[in-house]
Amino acid sequence: MSVDSTPDQTTGDGSATDALPQRRRATLVDHAIRYGFLGLLLGLIVFFSIFASGFAGPRSAVFIFQSVAITGILALGVTCTLVVGGFDLSIGSVATSSMMLAAYMMVILEQSAFVTILACLAMGAFIGLVNGLLIVKTKVPDLLATLGMMFLLVGLQRIPTEGRSIATGMTLPDGSTAEGTFSPFFLAMGRHRIDLVLENLIPVSVIFLIVIGILVWIFLEMTRHGRLMYAIGSNERAASLTGTNVNKYKIMAYMISGTLASVGGMLLAARLGRGDIASGTNLLLDAVAAALIGFAVLGAAKPNAFGTAMGALFVGILLQGLTMMNAPYYTQDFIKGLVLVIALVFTFSLSARKTGSH
Amino acid sequence: MKLVRRTALAMVASIAASATLLSGGIANADMPAPLDNPGDVKIALVRYLSTGDFFQAYLSGVEQQAEALGVDLRVFDSRQDAALQADMVDQAIALGVDGIVIQHGLTESMKEAAQRAVDAGIKVVAFDVNVENEAIPQIEQSDYLLGKLALDQAIEDNGTEWKAGYVYVPGIAPLDRRHVAWEEVKEANPGIEEVAQMGTLDNPIANSNANQARSVLQANPDITVFFAPYDEFAKGVKIAVDEAGLSSDISIYSADVSTADISAMREPGSAWKATVATNPAVVGEVSVRALAIMLTGGDPGAQVIVPPTLITQGFLNENDIKNMEDLSANMPQFAHADVAMTDWMPLPPR
Repeated sequence: MSVDSTPDQTTGDGSATDALPQRRRATLVDHAIRYGFLGLLLGLIVFFSIFASGFAGPRSAVFIFQSVAITGILALGVTCTLVVGGFDLSIGSVATSSMMLAAYMMVILEQSAFVTILACLAMGAFIGLVNGLLIVKTKVPDLLATLGMMFLLVGLQRIPTEGRSIATGMTLPDGSTAEGTFSPFFLAMGRHRIDLVLENLIPVSVIFLIVIGILVWIFLEMTRHGRLMYAIGSNERAASLTGTNVNKYKIMAYMISGTLASVGGMLLAARLGRGDIASGTNLLLDAVAAALIGFAVLGAAKPNAFGTAMGALFVGILLQGLTMMNAPYYTQDFIKGLVLVIALVFTFSLSARKTGSH
Repeated sequence: MKLVRRTALAMVASIAASATLLSGGIANADMPAPLDNPGDVKIALVRYLSTGDFFQAYLSGVEQQAEALGVDLRVFDSRQDAALQADMVDQAIALGVDGIVIQHGLTESMKEAAQRAVDAGIKVVAFDVNVENEAIPQIEQSDYLLGKLALDQAIEDNGTEWKAGYVYVPGIAPLDRRHVAWEEVKEANPGIEEVAQMGTLDNPIANSNANQARSVLQANPDITVFFAPYDEFAKGVKIAVDEAGLSSDISIYSADVSTADISAMREPGSAWKATVATNPAVVGEVSVRALAIMLTGGDPGAQVIVPPTLITQGFLNENDIKNMEDLSANMPQFAHADVAMTDWMPLPPR
């Protein structure tokens, strides 16, 4: 990567005597930028382990993962759209719509878990497709198209139940009672725990996060498709001139984002055990924060799956640690914002440095 | 297909309902003027909060009581826009309504708008918002009592020596009033110790609070009672308690109720022991009844308080209550509050 090559270039340009200390300084700064954020993460863990009773230990590690599983999955979806230079504001509402759809399928239409999961995934992919087509074909700017989709979904998810949450035994608009229940298999997605060393240690949702994280990482970093998506993100015109089907990849990015958001929504439904009316704004904001914090991890200065996962984890550790220390919710929002600002400074001062040195 | 049939059914049902209503309206010709001719009476509901089960149920209560009276109801929904809500009062005045129910809002923005309505000769009642006007009665569900009754039950079940987790978000008016009860109980019972306080309104609220409660339980394994005076909070705490495998060691006490809450409380071994609630639909009915009394020249009193009801896990299990309708059927005091009543007042059919 260009980060590593920067000091060598400076040495080549300057005289030998000046270059040595300058090079050492540059390496130091590079290291700070590259590992600073992971160091901060480690520092946080040590800090909370000492000051928050009950923080250190496998169980609390697992529930920190669990607390970020849903936003983490959403954030990975957003990362894909960020990679192609887009942005998906609709993920939060896609997730809550998927939660409502899951509850509607099972509780009111009395469908099986399998059909429900297919329906939710299809809905997520379809919304992604519509987002992509809006952006690519009708040339609506990405922020606006997905913003519109967000409002549309927030309204749409309430229409079938007249604005009420869905739970077994609820009275339907026609006066009858909903008899369906959440299938145990579906609930297990959000509640079952797998034994690993300790009994009932790892929740299934955490496994979802890890598997999806690895898949997205492989896709973006290892495959030709992923690299082409990065190419589109850095220079759409150049990518198009080299024969890349820019539109196809952009639509694909939004479809990945929508599908992952629907997975997040299903996990949410499985955990809550009902269809909860919610706009999903907080899910959106947390996911975007995680993806943006991810820019700073390993000095990547670009959206990347590993960084996003670390970003989500970082926010999770902070919030859980602070809760254990009895910090009220507003300080948590404040700290979340602070972390985001620091991460952004990391990222953008880094890219400024990079362009400055060339 | 099924959905289409449902919608069609619903439409048929509502047409049938309005038909019975019309005849009901005529039958109620013995109501005092101007309600002897209810079709000509227009009332408006001006809302600040509308999203969620509580507000949906409140609206249905307002609609049903308005239907029972036979008056023409207009609903204005400002969706948490304080300035728009004030404008909507002016809109209602321009529309020439006879009465207005103000549902929630901010004192600062609604005070003058409410005064303008009173000046225009319109009768006004306010639910859960203080518009600082003597001509405007306050409809309230007693949030203080809501908290107090839940805590009384907690003390009855657990004695007066326990370590408590508490869920609270300051600055939300009903939660602040429930908080007063908690402070009093702690004051009166030095054995009750609040070891952790948490709470957030990030949505989905239950999910965010579940995450927080997990941390609290991990940090304070000695907690035996959780006071979560809002059902979304309680749901979150319950998820965390279940996930931590502590359902048999912890008791949760809350406020408010919904069908989903009932099933959560009735799960085998559920930690959610009791909740205290006013039926939001009843509060909606009371709001309209108070307004009707004012329209006929009566006085419902400066404060109309809808009393809350204690709902325990035991009661739900004994009576096999599955949803809000079952609850209303088994708990008369939940289905109907005997406030803002007159001998001529028609009630919605049950």
